[in-house]
Amino acid sequence: MLTQVGFRDIRWGRQVDVFSGSKHESDAKEFDTRGVTIAAFKPA
Amino acid sequence: MVEQVTPSRVDRDTLRKQISEKYTGVALEPEAGFHFHTGRPLAEMLGYDAALVDQLPPSTVESFAGVGNPFSMGDLRPGETVVDVGCGAGFDTLIAAQQVGPSGRVVGVDMTEAMIGKARAGANALGLHYVEVRHGFAESLPVDDGIADVVISNGVINLTPDKVVAMREVYRVLKPGGRFQIGDIVVHKEVPQDAKDDIDLWSG
Repeated sequence: MLTQVGFRDIRWGRQVDVFSGSKHESDAKEFDTRGVTIAAFKPA
Repeated sequence: MVEQVTPSRVDRDTLRKQISEKYTGVALEPEAGFHFHTGRPLAEMLGYDAALVDQLPPSTVESFAGVGNPFSMGDLRPGETVVDVGCGAGFDTLIAAQQVGPSGRVVGVDMTEAMIGKARAGANALGLHYVEVRHGFAESLPVDDGIADVVISNGVINLTPDKVVAMREVYRVLKPGGRFQIGDIVVHKEVPQDAKDDIDLWSG
């Protein structure tokens, strides 16, 4: 999706099981949901 | 985030209303308990520097509801212009402001009035006159073309039914060579169309 709109040099950071221990945990586990950080660049 | 996805068929205005109601609760009653983590424990889980969090007003921290740490992808530089898409109570907005300093500029955008009020109050409490918080939507940012060195966002794009439109808006407001530092949700299993179309699963 990022590349679809023109972003380049996409860098992935760490993924966190951000719903672990929350009331949303079971729904999150069903789809293996993670919080993630990403950086993407608009070409100069 | 890099794969083509089928858009949801949820009604955009209904979804916005439900999400805004949910996050009004996070703003006004942060101790109420939600289907996701909030506040300082969440910030610690996501690896935010405790010293940075300590500098923020407690009313800002208590309503934090992100899913990642955009600053883990690189600090912002003094003098940079930053747009925070879906700034909420201003947690990331105020951290960004401290990093870019008074020679920079930070524009937060959110659709929930209660969150906008908290973000403005937090900026005022810290005397950050170069922070501006505007009402708006991720799919139609109230920001001019090509003004931002950096766009940050945290747990917001996943709440938009048409993510490509939201991404195009981020791209539009960035300067050439600008960067998008985002914390958001990814799913590693295919989400069936009926789940994508279930509005209750969106707003938690």
